[in-house]
Amino acid sequence: MVRRTFASLLIAAFVALGVYGTGAQAAQAAQAPPFIKIGTLYASAGPFAAISMPVHKALQLWEEQVNAQGGIYVKPYGKKIPIKIIAYDDQSSTSTAATLYNQLITQDKVDILVSDSGSVLTSVAVPIAREHKMLLFDQTGTGMNFFTADNPYIVLLSDPISNLWPKNAAEFLTKEGPKLGIKRVALLYSTNDFTGSQATGFRDVFKGSAIDVVYDHGVPTNTSSYTVLIQTIKALNPDAVIELGYPNNDIAFLRDLQGSGTKFKMVFTVYPGLETDLLLKTVGEKGLAYTYTYTPPTAIKYKPDFGMNLDAFKAAWVKKYKDTTDFGFNAVAGYVTALVLEKTLATTDTMDQMALRKAVFALSGKLRTLDGTFMLRSDGAQIGELTPLGQIVPSGNGEVKFVILYPPEAANGKAVYPAP
Amino acid sequence: MLEYSILAGILFGLYFGLVALGLNLIFGVMKIVNLAHGDFLMLGAYGAYIVFTDFHVNPLVTLLAEIVIFVIIGFPLYYLLVPRLQASRDPEMLSLILFFGLSQVIEALATLGFGSSERSIPGTVLGSAPISIFQQTFPVAWVVSGSVSLLAVGAIYVYLYRTRLGQLTRAVMAQREEALSTGIDVQRISAIAFGIGIAGAAVAGVLSPFMMGSITPAMGVSVTITSFAVIVMGSLGNPLGTVAGGIIYGIALMFMQTYFSSWANLLPYLLLIAILLVKPTGLFGRRVRNA
Repeated sequence: MVRRTFASLLIAAFVALGVYGTGAQAAQAAQAPPFIKIGTLYASAGPFAAISMPVHKALQLWEEQVNAQGGIYVKPYGKKIPIKIIAYDDQSSTSTAATLYNQLITQDKVDILVSDSGSVLTSVAVPIAREHKMLLFDQTGTGMNFFTADNPYIVLLSDPISNLWPKNAAEFLTKEGPKLGIKRVALLYSTNDFTGSQATGFRDVFKGSAIDVVYDHGVPTNTSSYTVLIQTIKALNPDAVIELGYPNNDIAFLRDLQGSGTKFKMVFTVYPGLETDLLLKTVGEKGLAYTYTYTPPTAIKYKPDFGMNLDAFKAAWVKKYKDTTDFGFNAVAGYVTALVLEKTLATTDTMDQMALRKAVFALSGKLRTLDGTFMLRSDGAQIGELTPLGQIVPSGNGEVKFVILYPPEAANGKAVYPAP
Repeated sequence: MLEYSILAGILFGLYFGLVALGLNLIFGVMKIVNLAHGDFLMLGAYGAYIVFTDFHVNPLVTLLAEIVIFVIIGFPLYYLLVPRLQASRDPEMLSLILFFGLSQVIEALATLGFGSSERSIPGTVLGSAPISIFQQTFPVAWVVSGSVSLLAVGAIYVYLYRTRLGQLTRAVMAQREEALSTGIDVQRISAIAFGIGIAGAAVAGVLSPFMMGSITPAMGVSVTITSFAVIVMGSLGNPLGTVAGGIIYGIALMFMQTYFSSWANLLPYLLLIAILLVKPTGLFGRRVRNA
């Protein structure tokens, strides 16, 4: 009797569990959307098009790849779901971008909000995302003031926060510089969040060191002529010149430096490392020779534990875009954004924005992509993916090589100082 | 640094005089504001870039070819756009809207065609050794650009003051209705001026990779704004006053960069406001009426 009752209960339990399981699966399947909506902006024209389009095209490349495999695994729904990138063109205008960010949140009701590339076009997204309690997946908006302890609605994915960028370069100058005879430094930067914060980063490290900043001036980001500025700096006879700008600034500065016949013992600029192909095309091998820059992932070739490695990604890029968009750091940045999104959706408990934040933070220190180790500070700022200081050495065939100088554990050569 | 800033300002200003020259010629003859002026400059720049990268043709050769090409392009474009515009009640105001639209179209098409990344021509193409002027060294490209600007201004002067067509053009500039009543083919004269105007922009565009570092499809808007400031300074409608406006702009910019570098981008607007407040007709305003 007892055995029969037990057997009946067991069968009933199995039946109940089966019914529940089927029901739950059905409910889950019903809840699962046909696709995950990722909202973002890009700039097809205007001053930020050059940094925005590669990032956006990398996202599109990822969308095409994952959707060809049925989508990405989304843990809250327990299955693969295709993604749909809803993207609008802000034309490099912050006012247009503000309207479009609002549209993505309120009209399109995107599941995930991704900012446009760069600090200028991200700056308007930060307060909007916060107001709507949407987590902003900030791709390359690295301005220091975006990250505050009281704002949980932002995470920086693909670049370190701006004032951390120069850490290795500034430490090289303070620690190795005096041995080389570097004492007087000139600092010329474009007045925007990205490069202004980097200038602050340099100044912070220089404080209390033997480095004397003999020139410290900003110029508008649309500056296209540096000849007079170069002469002004030359008159101060610095041992090293640091120029921080967007691609247009670095190109104009390096070309004017070459054109004016002025030689500085050390010149540091940002973009020869980040967009090497572009700078080679516009400045040339000779103009880049022996300048210092951030060493790009293309020179380091990190071994990723998630996603394609650099060679595979570049091959996929060239196959899809051929030579219509230069492959460089911004293309890598867009792909890193995609990888973080993919990992986040695969591990988040729910699609709630705070759950997404928790999932992104859980990746900190554990995710290694082709851009290095992903690491977040508590306010959402990226503190991993730091680029070492490198020096460009001409190869003589129109190409350049990078010699890593600092930090010491990553160095593979010594600085050629003063530059020939 | 003072001498260097002044000399650099003159060279840079001569170039900006060339940049703005065509815009002022078109305004002087047609009383329309070509807000797509900077975009024609951009097209000239990409023309030189493509011809150089694909066929290794020196930009100075391309420059000559572009003068012919853009004058030819200017003719049908003029007849397509301007006569209808001038038949409207407020051609000046409507020209702002129409040419703004044209500017957007050109920029969008250029982005599709050329991509959004910066492009440039190696600076060494025009010569590698810097040139010394009064013991101050300048990039050879600046000296070449300044020289080309002077030649272009000279050519415009000869055209306006030493040719029959130029005489007719000045008649149209002085009083369009009267010119029409005396039997001058105003449309033809205007079409030629329009072609010359955009050819001037294209010539400046050929030199822009050397003066501005790089080119992008988006460069047109800022070029147009600066050009507008330059022609208001030199006086609207007076092509030769543009050169003076350019030199004032160039010297002021170099001083700003030397002493107040962070504020340099405000310069065109500050000069524009100052001129409009102090001498609304521009520095050479009187000469417009006597042209």
